[in-house]
Amino acid sequence: MAVRELKQRKGFLLFSLAVALGPWIIRSNYMTSVMILIAIYGVLSLGMELLMGQTGLFSLAHPTWFGLGAYVSGIAATRGILPPMASIVAAGGFAAVVAFVIGAPVLRLKGFYLACATFAIIIVAQVAAAQWTGLTGGPEGLVGIPALRIAGYTLTSDLQFYYLSWFFCLVCYLFCSNLAASRVGRALRALRDSELASSSVGIHVSYYKLQVFVLTATMAAVAGGIFCFYLRFVVPDSFGFPLLLELLMMTIMGGLGDLRGALVGTFSVIWLKEALNAYLRKGFPSISSEVDVVFFGLLIIVVLIFMPKGLVGGMDQVATFLRREIGRER
Amino acid sequence: MTFISQIIQYAISGITSGSIYAIVGICWSTVFLISGVLNFATGEFVMLGGMLTWFFETSGMDLGLAAVLSIVLTCIVAMLVERLVIRPIKHATEMVYMLVTIAAASVIKGLVLITCGTETHTIPPVFSSKSINIFGATVTPQALFVVGVLAVLMVGLHLFLNHTLFGKALRASSVNRTGAELFGINVGRFRLFCFALAGGMGALAGIIITPIAFTGYNVGLLASLKGLVVAIVGGWEIRNTVVAGLVLGLLEGFFAGFVSTGWGDALSLGFMIVFLIVQTLDLGMRKIRMPGHGC
Repeated sequence: MAVRELKQRKGFLLFSLAVALGPWIIRSNYMTSVMILIAIYGVLSLGMELLMGQTGLFSLAHPTWFGLGAYVSGIAATRGILPPMASIVAAGGFAAVVAFVIGAPVLRLKGFYLACATFAIIIVAQVAAAQWTGLTGGPEGLVGIPALRIAGYTLTSDLQFYYLSWFFCLVCYLFCSNLAASRVGRALRALRDSELASSSVGIHVSYYKLQVFVLTATMAAVAGGIFCFYLRFVVPDSFGFPLLLELLMMTIMGGLGDLRGALVGTFSVIWLKEALNAYLRKGFPSISSEVDVVFFGLLIIVVLIFMPKGLVGGMDQVATFLRREIGRER
Repeated sequence: MTFISQIIQYAISGITSGSIYAIVGICWSTVFLISGVLNFATGEFVMLGGMLTWFFETSGMDLGLAAVLSIVLTCIVAMLVERLVIRPIKHATEMVYMLVTIAAASVIKGLVLITCGTETHTIPPVFSSKSINIFGATVTPQALFVVGVLAVLMVGLHLFLNHTLFGKALRASSVNRTGAELFGINVGRFRLFCFALAGGMGALAGIIITPIAFTGYNVGLLASLKGLVVAIVGGWEIRNTVVAGLVLGLLEGFFAGFVSTGWGDALSLGFMIVFLIVQTLDLGMRKIRMPGHGC
């Protein structure tokens, strides 16, 4: 039994192994720091994928949950209310409560009205983070966040954060893929395809929607907590529209409707961004980092027009083609 | 300043920005009603209008000519967005449209940023800036001009939509797209026209507000969202949108005057969220039907 389960999870295990050995094969601080970002954003895009791809909920408020987690854990740790590790957990719990309170009324909205309302939530949250100077430090950001300590062990190097963030990311992936394969996942996909039909076969539509909304918000908030202890400072600008654009890019590029797509998309988008920064900046030093926005915008348009299934869809097509041509049927 | 003059002052600034919201809201609803596209690039048309006029004006062009040229250019940009971004999409849903227009908006914004930089700019007002005094409150002629433009646009749109064949066909295709297509109306061309119309009106709004509120590469997003708020609250109808725009502008004006300027943007967007949620509640009142709201 166990062997069969391991065989089914072959890809996941190989990937985990690669992640675990990665920093020992390629010893580079730069690579490690980029991979940390990939793990953290990977959790976010997994959440987006679960919401948009599996459940069909176009909730765009993901940057807000991420920011909420970062701010809550940052504030709790800076003011000495909670020890750092507990503050990350508390941030997840707090975000779950807030997402429940906001989600219960907002998820009554359908289609693009939901998207508009959640888009508005991002802006409101950003204004709040910038204006509530006493609590959040205002537009200059929250500084003086202490180092993360787990069980009396202080995390200082990037490598330690690498393992922490990838551990969390892989746990989230495993959880989400199990969820998607379970009865709940089938219910979510059913209500994505038709709410009316799925409610008529006994799926409690609003209940499932709220559950998945709260789940993804919690995941994003915990990722935000890790992010805040990694960077050691938080500014409102990092949880706004540009982050939303990047997250959309990751989810679309990877391919909607496939959880692997979230990680593939995150990986490719962040490395593309790094490559863009490295090579374009060298050629045109006058161009600021804002060129990313143009590039990502163009890429979203191109991917949606020419490759609506994303990278994973494309890879699957290639795989099917090869299998058929080479003649190895499964 | 007395209390009365303060109130009048805030009301005037509220009505001025409310008129702009109303125009942007009309831009949203023209595009949405005809084509079902939620065009998040609407605010970028406003930004383009202001920035292009500033650009031509500083390079030594006459203000009127610069304004006309930038309106035309923005129309062209809007049509390009329709041709290059909206039309090639195969499996079109409202969400895909929304994503691509968000992407298009950020492309436009980024290109303006790269070419023009991050500074805010302004252009001289249309009339000489001798302000009028009402009960101690000052009104600039530009503010009156903004309200006047809104009125002219409203009357013009009303005449166009109700008293010309083309306008009637537009209305018909907004009511029933398939039906209009069956009657030989080229809906694709209408969509192109509506994008151009939205681009032109958005650019006009951007030009007339620039002497009052300045322009910069990043004014588009908030203009977009405010317009979206009033279009949704107004139920995608021109007259209601104008009312909603003015009410929202007044609310914001008083809020900014008496409470705080920083939270103003949160106010209007929070207002939209609450409005949308209240609409989903069945309070036993007349159900307001909203297009695309599903069952």
